[in-house]
Amino acid sequence: MNRIWNLIATEARIELRERYALTGILLYVLSASFIVFSIWRQLPPKEWGLTFWVIFLFCSLMAVLKTFGKESEGRYFYYYTLYHPLELFTAKVFYNLGLLLVIFFTLWLVLSVIAGNHFLRPGWFLVTGCMACIGLSFLLTFISSIAIKTQQNASLTAIMALPLMIPVLINILQLTAYGLGTTPDDNPWNEMMLLTSMISLVSGMALWLFPYLWRS
Amino acid sequence: MVVSVSLALLMLSATDRPTTFRLAVWKWGAIVLLLYVFIAGWIVPLHPGIIQVNPGTASAGDTVTLEVKGYNTSFLRDTSQLSAWLRLSGDTVLKAGHIRVFDDRQLKARFYIPAAFPFRSEAYPLTLIVVNGADGASVLPNAIFASPAVRHQPEEMSLWTQHKLQGIQVKAGIQYPFRNILAETIRNTYFHVPMWFAMILLFGVSAFYSLHYYRKGDMDLDRKSVAFIKVGLIFGLLGLLTGMIWAKNTWNAYWSWDVKQNMSAIALLIYSALMVMRSSVEDDLQKARLTAGYNMFAFVLLIPLLFIIPRMTDSLHPGSGGNPAMGGEDLDHTMRLVFYPAVVGFILLGLWISQLVYRVDKLKGNTWS
Repeated sequence: MNRIWNLIATEARIELRERYALTGILLYVLSASFIVFSIWRQLPPKEWGLTFWVIFLFCSLMAVLKTFGKESEGRYFYYYTLYHPLELFTAKVFYNLGLLLVIFFTLWLVLSVIAGNHFLRPGWFLVTGCMACIGLSFLLTFISSIAIKTQQNASLTAIMALPLMIPVLINILQLTAYGLGTTPDDNPWNEMMLLTSMISLVSGMALWLFPYLWRS
Repeated sequence: MVVSVSLALLMLSATDRPTTFRLAVWKWGAIVLLLYVFIAGWIVPLHPGIIQVNPGTASAGDTVTLEVKGYNTSFLRDTSQLSAWLRLSGDTVLKAGHIRVFDDRQLKARFYIPAAFPFRSEAYPLTLIVVNGADGASVLPNAIFASPAVRHQPEEMSLWTQHKLQGIQVKAGIQYPFRNILAETIRNTYFHVPMWFAMILLFGVSAFYSLHYYRKGDMDLDRKSVAFIKVGLIFGLLGLLTGMIWAKNTWNAYWSWDVKQNMSAIALLIYSALMVMRSSVEDDLQKARLTAGYNMFAFVLLIPLLFIIPRMTDSLHPGSGGNPAMGGEDLDHTMRLVFYPAVVGFILLGLWISQLVYRVDKLKGNTWS
């Protein structure tokens, strides 16, 4: 655990040293919501939820894309001698989870300011968002670890990750609709169960397969 | 079918020793089953039915003359037992007072709709049943909607139970059921559904080989798993196409953003992404390893995508939103006689083509190295 924490801290230090990375993401969030809002002009609850997740989707892809990309080949060899692949993967997942949570809360704040906060059950949306961040950080980290091995890694991450994200996203949209109160559905526990099981499936598969894919 | 026959002919002509040409038993099985499916699937007629009734509404206390258009019917052949019925529910039926037959496909039936109903409603859906000696009973559910009478006349209540629905027999011989809206397209069941069965099985076999590759690291296993993915993708594409043609005829649009359509399109996207990913890796070992990893990952996610999510949302497609998947209503015993062989036949065909693709890949690989 301590070693993982070290890795995360290193990651964060590198990220903060190059300040444009983190501010770039935040700027991306801001400008995307601004563009969407200036097109829509007003966001009723249902559209609010859809817009939120569309922006979140692209921001998260942007943020996680370069997980494995920005480091040199040499550093990975160095890491490989020092850490177990699982430690490296867990560190990356935690780091990306942090990033996604930052994006989530920033986006929520920004959209609430410019388009109002329509939630009947904000607690549910908070839980949904956290679940989504966990699931997507596992999925995106795993996919970007595959994509880094190919020639065009940026476009391939999107090509491979988007269809795989859809089952998770559909569930999240249903839960968001429950949080917003735009669905007649009274029992969100079914969706919650499905989401939980899908996330555990994704994370289990990713943890099982990553050490194997990481060797090269 | 055409594919399998031409493949067989190709193999026959390609071999140098035609006298020793042999096929494994299961391949002959596939050929025989698919021949049977294509012949029986196209040739067996549909049960007589009713496709149109005019007018679609009537008001109680009035006499209404219905123009009935039959499908596959032969009204003229045996007019002795000809009768027409409007059924409200159970034994609550009306018998047509007068029937005039124009030809085998058209007749007019006159009904008097009583000015009293056994229960209260805004509109009463009535099922039309036409019975004759040659066709047995042809049924059209909700053929007309009767609106309540302006003046309620309780003494007419007895008209509903005056006649008993009787003399209904099933037409002898082998035929597929006539379903409203589906009509002849019901035959697509033998081609559309087995495509998906075959696709799931092929992807499953592919994931199994990937798992083996993960354990053993033999390049041959990678070749096998990719061959199964390629063929599975083709089957999925055919399933989507047959489904779209079917949807055009029954849902009135090729693509209606139905959850089942979307999910299967996404499933195909996932596996197409796998093929794209493969083509952009140069190192063979790396390629095989990434394929194995992504393939297992994708197959595990495919299960909620195809089997859980569509069942949780409303859909036009059978098998979700409370519709029966392959319940007794849509698949009767005659259809089962063709449907199960079709499933087995198409699965065997899929395995066969995958085997050929694998062999071709292997030969190509050998020439390179």
